[in-house]
Amino acid sequence: MTALVEVRGVSKYFGNVIALKDISLSVDAGEVTCVLGDNGAGKSSFIKILSGVHQHDDGELLVEGEECRFSSPRDARERGIATVFQDLATVPLMSVWRNFFLGSEPTVGKGPLRRIDVKFAQDTMREEMRKMGIDVRDPDQPVGTLSGGERQAVSIARAVYFGAKVLILDEPTSALGVKQSGVVLRYVVQARERGLGVIFITHNSHHAYPVGDRFVILNRGKLVGDWRRGEIDRDELVKKMSGGAELDQLTHELERKLEPT
Amino acid sequence: MTRLRAGVLALLMVLGMAAFAAACGGDEEGGGGSGGSPASKDDVDLTQGQDATIAVITHGEGDSFWAVAKKGAEDAGKQMGVTVKYSESSNDPQKQAQLIDSAVTEKVDGLAVTAPNPDALRDSLKKATDAGIPIITLNSGADDYQDLGAITHVGQTEEIAGEGAGTKLKEAGAKKLLCVIHEQSNIGLNQRCDGAKQGFGEVENLQVKGVNDIQTTLTEIQSKLQADTSIDAVLTLNPDIAVAARDAVKGAGSSAKLATFDLSGDVVQAIEDGEIEFAVDQQQYLQGYLPVVFLTLSKTNANTVGGGQPVLTGPGFVTKDNAATVAELAQEGTR
Amino acid sequence: MSSTADAALAPEPVADERLANIGLGARLMRRPEVGSLLGALVICAFFWLTTEPFGTLNGIANWTDVGSTIGIMAVAVALLMIGGEFDLSAGVMTGTTGLLMGLLTTEWGLSMWPAIVVTFAFAATVGFMNGYMVIKTKLPSFIVTLATFFVLQGVNLGVTKAITGTVRVAGLGDVPGYDSAFKLFGATFWAPHNFRLSVIWWIAIAALATWVLARTRAGNWIFAVGGDAEAARNVGVPVARVKIALFMTTAIAAALVGIMIALRLSSVQAGQGVGEEFTYIIAAVVGGCLLTGGYGSAIGASFGALIVGMAFIGIQFSGWNTDWRFLFLGVILLLAVLVNNLVRHRAEGARR
Repeated sequence: MTALVEVRGVSKYFGNVIALKDISLSVDAGEVTCVLGDNGAGKSSFIKILSGVHQHDDGELLVEGEECRFSSPRDARERGIATVFQDLATVPLMSVWRNFFLGSEPTVGKGPLRRIDVKFAQDTMREEMRKMGIDVRDPDQPVGTLSGGERQAVSIARAVYFGAKVLILDEPTSALGVKQSGVVLRYVVQARERGLGVIFITHNSHHAYPVGDRFVILNRGKLVGDWRRGEIDRDELVKKMSGGAELDQLTHELERKLEPT
Repeated sequence: MTRLRAGVLALLMVLGMAAFAAACGGDEEGGGGSGGSPASKDDVDLTQGQDATIAVITHGEGDSFWAVAKKGAEDAGKQMGVTVKYSESSNDPQKQAQLIDSAVTEKVDGLAVTAPNPDALRDSLKKATDAGIPIITLNSGADDYQDLGAITHVGQTEEIAGEGAGTKLKEAGAKKLLCVIHEQSNIGLNQRCDGAKQGFGEVENLQVKGVNDIQTTLTEIQSKLQADTSIDAVLTLNPDIAVAARDAVKGAGSSAKLATFDLSGDVVQAIEDGEIEFAVDQQQYLQGYLPVVFLTLSKTNANTVGGGQPVLTGPGFVTKDNAATVAELAQEGTR
Repeated sequence: MSSTADAALAPEPVADERLANIGLGARLMRRPEVGSLLGALVICAFFWLTTEPFGTLNGIANWTDVGSTIGIMAVAVALLMIGGEFDLSAGVMTGTTGLLMGLLTTEWGLSMWPAIVVTFAFAATVGFMNGYMVIKTKLPSFIVTLATFFVLQGVNLGVTKAITGTVRVAGLGDVPGYDSAFKLFGATFWAPHNFRLSVIWWIAIAALATWVLARTRAGNWIFAVGGDAEAARNVGVPVARVKIALFMTTAIAAALVGIMIALRLSSVQAGQGVGEEFTYIIAAVVGGCLLTGGYGSAIGASFGALIVGMAFIGIQFSGWNTDWRFLFLGVILLLAVLVNNLVRHRAEGARR
């Protein structure tokens, strides 16, 4: 089966800083690929290339087998890659339905009388949000008054509705509490079940482990490892991510300090 | 928002409105001019018999010059027993036209206006004439008052006054004159400098920020004096600007002679101290006072003043000789 | 996409007990223009009851006159503020455009209508440049348009003086085409009360702006660009184009007002408009616009302008000592903004 999205040997340089070097991985439909790594590993550069904000300097980016080079986020979106950034790309002061259809507003009428089909927009938004398990009763409720998890739901529902084939989630649980994180993970699985390919970027391996079908670890711009579910267990994952040797040493040091003198 | 805060806010609003209402009632007699002579508070309510309202609408900006004119108008109101409503448009002709329109709506009994921009006020003044309200122009508009339908003009013709000032400075021995213009859009000021050129000879104009920013004005004059040391005379056209110019001359270490148009307490003091040679006094107290008198008489006695000519209030010259007398009066805010 | 998978996975929609059903009254209270409407009603009632001429048709003509030229600009400035930017050159621009039309006709022989067309084109260009510079330099629009303000102020005075020798362009009444242009832009209607045509223009422009904001794609983009430009850009909204268009709108509105004033007074002063830019911003803020952008109302800005007009004329009619006029105006505006905030906080209190 052709992968939905595949990168082969992709590198990105900012001046003489190597953000990414020779990254190869693929994402299939109906699968969650977790991209893990500590801060500074190159995760955000990676997303920005996939979502069209930056362009790769070396290597190839393929969408459904075709080589691509995105010139803008809009470009990526049109090819079916939807990215939910950490700041959620929602405008807090605007209502949920306005955010939902921002950039793709449904219209009626022609020429100077062309106006937004508000009823359609509000009804559709409510329906899509209901599918995510949220009942938005007040159509004009500003997005800023929703909880963090609910805002993620809006972004995800929006991406799904507009025909995304690949959903990239950039640190969706980083700013959330425990319960909200659980809710978001459920959305991730839902999207997978609906046939999307999901790329789940995080530095929290405890969140990644339950939902991932594939795990990829980045460190300092390089690919450290690539495992399928079942090939690696959770503790191993944590160790690989946080630099096992350093953690062992720290633990050892701390233990020694606690010994009574 | 707790109930306490909402209550405080409501109280503030009520207090605010009450304060306005109080200010409204207390100021019918117009006790707000510069200097504020104590006598005004003890005045008996003199609005007997007449019950007339005269609107005085100038283009002033609340500086000390217009404060004297305002006092003149309000004093005349008290003495004639009529209500005087004084307002200023801050040099905005549209606002002045709108103020005139509102005076017409109020059906005032007489209208005294300055006309620095006659075209702008023509329509509104026509409405006033159509409504039967007599008009007198003051201070500016000497060339247009008849066209605007005014009975007469009370003021000083700018070129003549400017020429007088220029001549006097020439007689004092100066060779190059700096004429300081402080109001961007006042034709009269430009006319004064043109007149000064006639009487003096070599004159250069300098545009300054104005009475709303004296500090900048001072700096502008001082810089000019430092840059051009051949300037040995400075002519300002406003008392507040004159004081700034005096400080600028000192600051630049210049020996330029300073003269000004129009008086204030500070200017008179400076004349007494020898820092200013003379002041050309257009006696703006009269410009506020006389139109109110003329308009009241027009209402009560069908009098028309002037015989088709303007009524001149200047130039009067205040020099070291008469400065002391004028100084006392300037303290009262009437000169 | 399997619908059975959807049904199996989607949890039962949980009615969030925090979301009380919002009634119509509360929803109305949340609108940004409520504060300014209340403020306008209070001030109107106050002056109506305490002075005689305020409530007469002549009086209403007076204060709507003052409100109209402020109101047209306030609406344009409000749109720009919702889009997250300021234009400090808006006031002086009314002078520049009036002066340009005046010079084109009285010095360079154009008749009125071609001069009007050229003036609008000039305004669109200046607006474009304002917007382009803000986008390109990424400096705050406050700074960029402040520079434009100084440039225009200097040009207004310098060019006028150099060409006419005075600080005023006069004689517009004699220009061919004046009468017809006056009929469209500067005339009055409903004699003898003489309501100004600019009031009709104002209402039409406010209505158009409101429709754009509430019902068009462009309006959605304006809110988005002001609320979070990055987020808007990420979903494909053409941020630069929207902002430049807003600056052009403000400049064109200034041209309209400049032309109106020039025709009404058949002259233009070099100092026209300087200082008015803050009145427009205040009217917009009173009307519910946030200084940080992303929220506001064109109708609210109109009410804000109306408040300024009513206060100006109301104070006249009351005979209060006009030395205090600015203090009164300032306090009234402050109260209006406070009421605005109070109303909005109470309305949003239902949510948080």
